[in-house]
Amino acid sequence: MNMSAAVTAPVAIRVHDLHKSFGPVEVLKGVSLDAREGEVISILGSSGSGKSTLLRCINMLEVPNSGTIEVAGEAIRLKTSGDGRSRPADQKQVDRIRSELGMVFQSFNLWSHKTVLENVIEAPVHVLKRPRAEAIEEAEALLAKVGIADKRNHYPSHLSGGQQQRAAIARALAMRPKAMLFDEPTSALDPELVGEVLRVMRGLAEEGRTMLVVTHEMGFARDVSSRVVFVHKGTIEEEGPPHEVFTRSKSERFRQFIKS
Amino acid sequence: MDIKFALETFWSLAAALPLTLQLATTSIALGSVLALGLALARLSGILALDLFARTYVFLFRGTPLLVQIFLIYYGLSQFPAVRHSIFWPLLREPYWCAVLALMLNTAAYASEIIRGGLLSVPHGQVEAARACGMGRLMIFRRIVMPQALRQALPGYGNEMISMVKATALASIITLMEITGVAAKLISESYRVIEVFVVAGVIYLAINFALTRLVAFAEHRLNPQLRPPLPISTELKGETH
Repeated sequence: MNMSAAVTAPVAIRVHDLHKSFGPVEVLKGVSLDAREGEVISILGSSGSGKSTLLRCINMLEVPNSGTIEVAGEAIRLKTSGDGRSRPADQKQVDRIRSELGMVFQSFNLWSHKTVLENVIEAPVHVLKRPRAEAIEEAEALLAKVGIADKRNHYPSHLSGGQQQRAAIARALAMRPKAMLFDEPTSALDPELVGEVLRVMRGLAEEGRTMLVVTHEMGFARDVSSRVVFVHKGTIEEEGPPHEVFTRSKSERFRQFIKS
Repeated sequence: MDIKFALETFWSLAAALPLTLQLATTSIALGSVLALGLALARLSGILALDLFARTYVFLFRGTPLLVQIFLIYYGLSQFPAVRHSIFWPLLREPYWCAVLALMLNTAAYASEIIRGGLLSVPHGQVEAARACGMGRLMIFRRIVMPQALRQALPGYGNEMISMVKATALASIITLMEITGVAAKLISESYRVIEVFVVAGVIYLAINFALTRLVAFAEHRLNPQLRPPLPISTELKGETH
């Protein structure tokens, strides 16, 4: 990762003063974060810290109570409905912005009634209206890239967890996203399958893709990411390049966190 | 048992087969549309729709089909408003009264089957579809419904079999479907065993064909349960 480029590159995702509550519990208490193009940001934190919620607010899978999200300079418009709840003002805008962000889930969430190839071409063909033949060609290249070209006609239930997650990454890449959001992509995997998924993610980072990765993989955070963000109790407790925060963090909590 | 008489009976009853099939298919088809609407109302999260669907299911599942048939066939004509409505040309026909009762009844059961199917689709798959920028309708059509159907099919098969047998009740309101014809033959011949055994065999045959059809549909709709295709096989047909 080229550090100097990351400082001057345009902002891909801007999160400003994000607040999110689930009922009486305030999960995010004013989080701000800029991800520049080409940056790989690892979002760390103990469970319940709000790190997944932060990621899910970016593509409106959770609607924040207040604050702004900008993707490639475009702010997602929110409105407050009659019952005081916040919701997207324009669902079309949200759908379009979602199609520009690739999301990878902890539990893969492949569509189980479709083959791997069908999973990958589904959204390009039906959301982006790309010609089917072209989508298939691109999907096959992506499946080869994540190393499961031979599984393209398999259904998700016939794949290992690692293969399913790599298929899910290919599915997200097929949308030619401006940024990739990873929500604990290796947490549901058997230990011996974590490596194959991390290798694919490392490859994407080396291509210069913009990535936000919620993870517990310290090795990935330290070696691959250009910036580490530590979320604690709904705020960003520590933030910086990995070589700095891992060696001399000012935050006692973060030092505790990486020790455990 | 008189085989010759049984064979004659068979041909008489077979002539009534089309009406039985017509009653069953029409009411199942119309009922499935209503059932989908009711299931969606239950899951809509809109209190008024939810309550309506719950009340509907409670009433139609909780009362005998025969009572519903009587109420529709004998009861509705008591109301001048019904007799003067545009529906009267249909509601004065015993056939449409039977179809209406069967359809309203099956919709109550089927709505619960469909609701179960819809609920069985993992939420994560819906979320993944949203994250790709799919709209609600597309998600329903391409992700939720195909999987809900698969899940609902075995239960729906049961309901369809029930419906085929329930058409026998239409004989009470003068329809000469299989059971109606059987009752008439008995009143002429007093040979209860032959006639009803033959009638039973015909219902068995219909339901045998029906279960085969459902099993075939299940097989077709569940390619993910079959062994993976070899890599040389191109995708054909099954993607849409």
